[in-house]
Amino acid sequence: MIDALFPSYPLPQDVVDDLLDTIRRDWTFWGPCSGEDEVWRLQPLPEGLWPANAVTTFLTVKKLLLPQRAALWSHDQNSYRKAGAASPVAVIGVPLCDLQAVWYLDQVFAEDEPYLDRRKQLLLIGMPCEPGAECRCSRQLMPLAGDLFVGADRVWALSRAGQGLLLECACGVAEEMPLPWPEGPDGQRSQISEDLFLSSAAASIWFDESQRCLSCGACSAVCPTCYCFDLLDSAALDGSVVRRRAWDNCFFAEHGKVAGGHDFRPGRADRLRFRMEHKLLGFGDLRGQNSCVGCGRCRGVCPAEIDLDRIAEQLHLEVGS
Amino acid sequence: MMHDLQPVPAVLVKIVPMVVDNHLFAFRPEQPLADIMPGQFVEVSISGVGSFPVSSCDLVRDGRIMSCIRRAGRVTDALYRLKEGDTVGLRGPFGNGFPLQRFAGHDVLLIAGGLGMAPLRGLLQALLEDHDRQGRIMVLYGSREPGGLLFYDELVGLSQQGRISVRFSVDFAETLPGPHPQVFCRIGLVSELLEGLQFAPRRTVAAVCGPPALYRCVLEELALTGIAPARIFVTLERRMRCGIGECCHCVTGGRYICRDGPVFSLEQLRGMAGAI
Repeated sequence: MIDALFPSYPLPQDVVDDLLDTIRRDWTFWGPCSGEDEVWRLQPLPEGLWPANAVTTFLTVKKLLLPQRAALWSHDQNSYRKAGAASPVAVIGVPLCDLQAVWYLDQVFAEDEPYLDRRKQLLLIGMPCEPGAECRCSRQLMPLAGDLFVGADRVWALSRAGQGLLLECACGVAEEMPLPWPEGPDGQRSQISEDLFLSSAAASIWFDESQRCLSCGACSAVCPTCYCFDLLDSAALDGSVVRRRAWDNCFFAEHGKVAGGHDFRPGRADRLRFRMEHKLLGFGDLRGQNSCVGCGRCRGVCPAEIDLDRIAEQLHLEVGS
Repeated sequence: MMHDLQPVPAVLVKIVPMVVDNHLFAFRPEQPLADIMPGQFVEVSISGVGSFPVSSCDLVRDGRIMSCIRRAGRVTDALYRLKEGDTVGLRGPFGNGFPLQRFAGHDVLLIAGGLGMAPLRGLLQALLEDHDRQGRIMVLYGSREPGGLLFYDELVGLSQQGRISVRFSVDFAETLPGPHPQVFCRIGLVSELLEGLQFAPRRTVAAVCGPPALYRCVLEELALTGIAPARIFVTLERRMRCGIGECCHCVTGGRYICRDGPVFSLEQLRGMAGAI
């Protein structure tokens, strides 16, 4: 997958318009929109307004795949009913790092019907980005998901659905080409080995850094690959109940606590270490896959300036030989 | 295998009070679930309140699932307010369960602390119902006080029939449990029951279940008796919210306890930081 080649087509302006019209037939367009507060958010795009570039929006495509609180089912008079289906959305202006993040979520939720129901409704369209000061993306990190990648004068088909759309628009002759990853940000990435992590339990950096953590949950809310969730019920006055999947955060005090009160991650240092383990080493079948796509959102949003890259660097100094 | 996180309605067919706040609950799902192996678990859902994971303490009989459930939190508290005939939701079964084939042809040592007897009782039922089975079954079971010993009469009965041998321990007691004066029971920790126990470590498979403190004191001690760590099986308790290896609450040593476990051998646990 590293430096993978995808079918790429020349893209004159009239074909861009044709392509967008074709997509608009079946999908509602979402993309980055800047508010008066100058925060870029992923939102439905006003008619005719297309992003010029990809933007690392405040929240990522994750909010469409795993909404902050999404109904799984409702329960009424002893029957369970699956929650209503999501509607088709084409997200345009997705940066490459976020497309990697979707690939990662696809692996985690490969057997999860509610996730897959939403996933099938999404058309993901990547665009080139201007790397910011916080960006540390890496094409080598993992494969990417997505359907199309629209560059300045070329378009790439990343999936069969994307390929189908391009054929419909008569885009000409394909050439196998790599995607135009941004120059520059590769490198300076947080990386730790299993051995370094295992021998770091007593490292002072966990205590020093976690002391400042406010357990606000912002880091994992903005993270494109954080997927911890809780299951929450809410009951209406008529007795019907809805169970929702809601974002959770491994910094929250209850995260490792079981009924009866035993807490398997009782201190903030334990929880910081758990988060680091999840991001940089992965859990379950994805052990060994670093899932930090280097977008820099967590670093930017943390009110206590906790920075996983800096912690990784410190660990190498403090524990690494 | 695909998961939709949607429960199957199940009738609460029987409630058997056993010990204060540790009752047996039998559920009959409207559509049968896949067979539950000893050590696997289901998620019991009480609509409007939430759900919790619980192992089965019996083999599934006529589609009926039996669990020993402690009143320990918000959702189990709601369960204790239900009556026979009420409905709940069930998801599962989840997890790997005990590898029964590894127990065949071996003597078996079951070590339980407190509510840890519940999943081991499911395993014990499976062992007892295997009529081709050869080898002894020894049960070491500790509780805080005599009144907290679950399945006490049943275990004593099995011992009197010569089908198992059993030793109890209690942390605190003024008088030891009766009415079976011949029953071995001592004051102390369950790990102390290993003292003087006659068994052949090379022929023995062990299964352990109890609170985290039990694992810290008993597992390595068991290994010291000579039972190979690959033949010491442990079932872990964690906050298993989803049951399908996604929500991350139960992760220990990088593994989803709900999906890769909850049963692990001591050999595996030694490689999982924070597991014991």
